[in-house]
Amino acid sequence: MECFSLLRSDVPALIDHLGDFGEVLAPHGKGDVSYSFEAVQDSSDVVLDYNRTLLPLKKMFLPPVEKLMGFSLKNKSYEQVDVTIAPRVFFGVHSYEMQSILRLDHSMLSGSVESNYFKRRQSSRFVGISFEPDEFHFSESVGIVIEEMEGFDLFLNEIDGDFQLYVLTDNGQGMLNGFDKINLTEPEIVEERHFKKKIRYHFNRLPRVFQYAYHSEVWADVASRCVGCGACTLTCPTCFCFDVQDEVEVTAEDGMRQRSWDSCMLSTFAEVAGGENFREKTINRTRHRLFRKFKYITDEEGLPWCVGCGRCTAFCPAGISMPDIVNELIQEDEKAQYHRPVRV
Amino acid sequence: MKRLQDVEHHETEDLYYPTMCKVTGAKQITEMEKWYELEMPEGQSLGHGPGQFVEVSAFGIGEAPISISSSPSKNGKFELCIRQVGTLTNVLKNYETGDSMGIRGPFGKGFPMEKLFGKDILVVAGGIGLVPLRSLINYVLDNRQDFGRLIILYGAKTPSELLFTDELEAWKKRDDVELHVTVDQPDETWKGNTGVITTLIPSLDLNLNTTIAAITGPPVMYKFVVMSLKSKQLPDDQIYLSLERRMKCGVGKCGHCQINGVYCCQDGPVFNYVDIKPLEEAL
Repeated sequence: MECFSLLRSDVPALIDHLGDFGEVLAPHGKGDVSYSFEAVQDSSDVVLDYNRTLLPLKKMFLPPVEKLMGFSLKNKSYEQVDVTIAPRVFFGVHSYEMQSILRLDHSMLSGSVESNYFKRRQSSRFVGISFEPDEFHFSESVGIVIEEMEGFDLFLNEIDGDFQLYVLTDNGQGMLNGFDKINLTEPEIVEERHFKKKIRYHFNRLPRVFQYAYHSEVWADVASRCVGCGACTLTCPTCFCFDVQDEVEVTAEDGMRQRSWDSCMLSTFAEVAGGENFREKTINRTRHRLFRKFKYITDEEGLPWCVGCGRCTAFCPAGISMPDIVNELIQEDEKAQYHRPVRV
Repeated sequence: MKRLQDVEHHETEDLYYPTMCKVTGAKQITEMEKWYELEMPEGQSLGHGPGQFVEVSAFGIGEAPISISSSPSKNGKFELCIRQVGTLTNVLKNYETGDSMGIRGPFGKGFPMEKLFGKDILVVAGGIGLVPLRSLINYVLDNRQDFGRLIILYGAKTPSELLFTDELEAWKKRDDVELHVTVDQPDETWKGNTGVITTLIPSLDLNLNTTIAAITGPPVMYKFVVMSLKSKQLPDDQIYLSLERRMKCGVGKCGHCQINGVYCCQDGPVFNYVDIKPLEEAL
């Protein structure tokens, strides 16, 4: 692994250089307080210090609305959609975001392998960047540090305002070919950066907490505050549930089948024809969301399906905090342990 | 964890394109249910097992998961029976012989036939639960020597809602089928059993060592049928249930059919009772 020094003032030049490899997408300011991954028009517009984008990077791999096919109502026939993705470079990606993509890989590529996701994923390269955690990030609690470089081709680690640039893959090496504003250097160990928000237990203890949490009183409390808007799941970088709808043009002759992001927090998500709803109450849905993040997939894959980005908390209109829910479950579990019969 | 570098390009699939199948037969068999016979293009076979389902497409409306009603032993064609309860199924009502219908699948796990060979099969069907179970029943009948007794319990709300009445008549006449039909609300013509389906269970004489129960019906039915079978001392692992959920994609992605951590479209719709007993959202 090679490491180079790079001046902050030379980062726009690096972004321009990466443009030779493909379309560069990077964080941009949106309005006063929001950020978004957008195609770079002017490299000096790219924001290097940001807390989080409103929508996660999953939007580039599982688009919020995606055409699956076009159809003709008259002929009862359909046309396939050809998805070709030109090479793309995602610049300025935080470690939790990269980890969310690795989790989406598992969700979309295990079992049946989704071709569109695979194409989008295969044509993408990633340049990471370190960040300063705010009051919502808690990635460290789910095993992701700021300098976690897995999945990246290049990684920019900020040291005293400038950067150390790590080359992590052959692709990363190739992307730097011909870029002369960097100097080979020794990697510096940075002072440990601390997260302000924490889950009290190491994440490998959480499946056990969740094993006993199904009938916890915490769910009723969360449900009483939840407004059921689904913002938590739509902004979640590892949530991937979707709905499929047919849209018909006004001519009533043609249309398209498209899929769009859906949310298990919406009341009709588990409803079937005839009206039976298998998660009818908010309490069923808030619990399901948390179990999806910390129990169901985690039991099989050993990792929380939460990357600690803090979006679900930061963007919740009711102020519901994911790590606080987990901490309450931990607290309840600690109390209950004294009364629980010992299993031999 | 599955990683990107573990995937070869040829393993990827276009998961959401339907196959256009020709409707070769269609008949409204009750006020609410229509039966269809379909044919895959170019002599292909659907290749399903009893208990599996397909996603049926009507362009402009969408897709719905529908149980396959015919036995895989029926060559060439397959059958569906669809209750008209929503927009999509009401549009499908207009499909007649000669139309083409979009089909994806077959999906999910059906009945584990290798575990059913040589066993007594107890079918418990409530309402349109008979639709998927008919696939199993006809498979058993087509391979009659491979199975022990075939006991069919079938309950409907009213006599006019009974499905496949011709076949019920034929099953009734066979001496190697024990058929018991009941209705909740009899009319003046009804001469058979009256009451919910569980009333048929206490008087059954079952060989507990060799009986496998296969249950499908409305959500409310399962708990009571399982309770009745347990009071007959039938072991849990000899009970199979086919569950209804909103299986939107059929390929374990969209999340709609999840029962706790289990995808109904992948691990079901047919489950062994032992496997779903710990799942609070199952029954």
